[in-house]
Amino acid sequence: MKINSATIQNWILPVAALVAWEIFGRAGMLPRYLSFPSAILAALWELAVSGELFVALAASLYRVSTGFVLGTVAGVIVGLGAGIVPGIRHFFDPLVSFLYSIPKIAFLPVFLLLFGLGHASKIAIIAFSGFFPVFIASRHAVLSVNKLLVWTAQNMGTPQRKIFFRVIIPAAAPQLFSGVRIGLAHAFVVLFAAELIGSKVGLGTIISSGEEWVRFDLMFAGIVCFAVLGFVSDRILLAVRAHVLKGQMIGTEEQVVR
Amino acid sequence: MAHTFAQAWSLVARWYSIPLLLLVWQVAVASGFVESRLLPGPGRVWTALVTEIGNGTLVYHASVTISRALTGFLLAALVGIPFAAAMARSVLVRNLFEPIFFIGYPIPKIALFPVFTYIFGIGTPSKIAFTFIECLYPIVVACYFGFRAVQTRLVWTAQNCGASRSVILSRVILPAALPSIFSGLRVALPVAIIVVVITEMIGDSIGLGYYITIWSTRFTFANVYAAIIVIGICGLVLDQALLLLRRRAVYWQREGA
Repeated sequence: MKINSATIQNWILPVAALVAWEIFGRAGMLPRYLSFPSAILAALWELAVSGELFVALAASLYRVSTGFVLGTVAGVIVGLGAGIVPGIRHFFDPLVSFLYSIPKIAFLPVFLLLFGLGHASKIAIIAFSGFFPVFIASRHAVLSVNKLLVWTAQNMGTPQRKIFFRVIIPAAAPQLFSGVRIGLAHAFVVLFAAELIGSKVGLGTIISSGEEWVRFDLMFAGIVCFAVLGFVSDRILLAVRAHVLKGQMIGTEEQVVR
Repeated sequence: MAHTFAQAWSLVARWYSIPLLLLVWQVAVASGFVESRLLPGPGRVWTALVTEIGNGTLVYHASVTISRALTGFLLAALVGIPFAAAMARSVLVRNLFEPIFFIGYPIPKIALFPVFTYIFGIGTPSKIAFTFIECLYPIVVACYFGFRAVQTRLVWTAQNCGASRSVILSRVILPAALPSIFSGLRVALPVAIIVVVITEMIGDSIGLGYYITIWSTRFTFANVYAAIIVIGICGLVLDQALLLLRRRAVYWQREGA
């Protein structure tokens, strides 16, 4: 019974908002640009039938996944390197601490001119902006590995390479994943801005063309797809992490957040 | 003597990469390896920076961007911190709002920006409202965990000593949650700047984001890079200011990072 009432309280606000949106939207009491849920579902269906949705989804997904993977791989490799080798750390630290505070999207005009209006410019800017949080998290994770663990392994005659793979990487993994999660969030923000500012296909383009044609149901259909895509990718990342870090999640904040 | 030399050497070892990169940049441009229209040399960027700051253009656009970012950020802090405390203390509030904040957290809220421009217009209000929403999430989530992690025995001890509810809140719970509050604020501050610049790039007639867009359509990239440098400096200064504030407020604990 206790759990039951908590569940009801959990759902009450979102459901009430949706119902109110539907009723007032249908009755025409809301501004037209807010549309209403059933019209948005109809628009989603329309986009799905015409196949437009899948073309846009494929384009957006391709850009965000390629850019994210490139940025993450580069961030992890360079970040781990910087954590272990002081020379690499001293080279990257000043650059990163300056570039980190700049919204990477500010480089979009430059990237658009360098790589054109197609996929390449979006992939490049997503990778560029994903690199920084991953780099910072990996660098910091390696540096904060408990030295006792490393000393113990050295004492028992473990070779360097094995210490790296069996001690440092597992100890740094939780922090590394939180950097990757921030990188994923950045990837979607940059994807949206890049598609809205200069692009011919993609979910961002559905949103902006919905605005242009004064089809607010289409605009919201694009927004819903984009939100769902972002949400599902984050859940996939969390699932991967839960699988990789079996037994390391106990007592962390994320365990509470689910 | 040896000491100062070692100090100077460590300074060089720590900071050499920025001048080195500037040198590579200059050589690449001077040798014609990269097209100088796309990547003007450091000298030309510096000239653009000095003239645009001198005639007040960059100062004006930067003040617009920073005031928008700070307004949204401060509103989010003012609303978010008490709200997180309420969520941590009351089961009803927690049950009502937990899904909105925890399920909504990973949803890319930037997709909703077009709706914001319809509700609040294209100018400053929609940017502030959107920055508020984007900052609210990290602040509420971090503060919520901070308030929940306050040790119950601290509260019990205070109660035992006869402290009133308001004293417990201001002298026990708030100080104990302060480190988490500051880590939430430190996540939210760059988010505020990023969001304002992005939304200004999407559509506005003032602000650094607009400045970048307009000069890149005119192919004057020296000005674009100058604006990017200004954004970087503003971000660094604001972050350092927040750290200074943290050092004052959380004087009993040094920050790890």
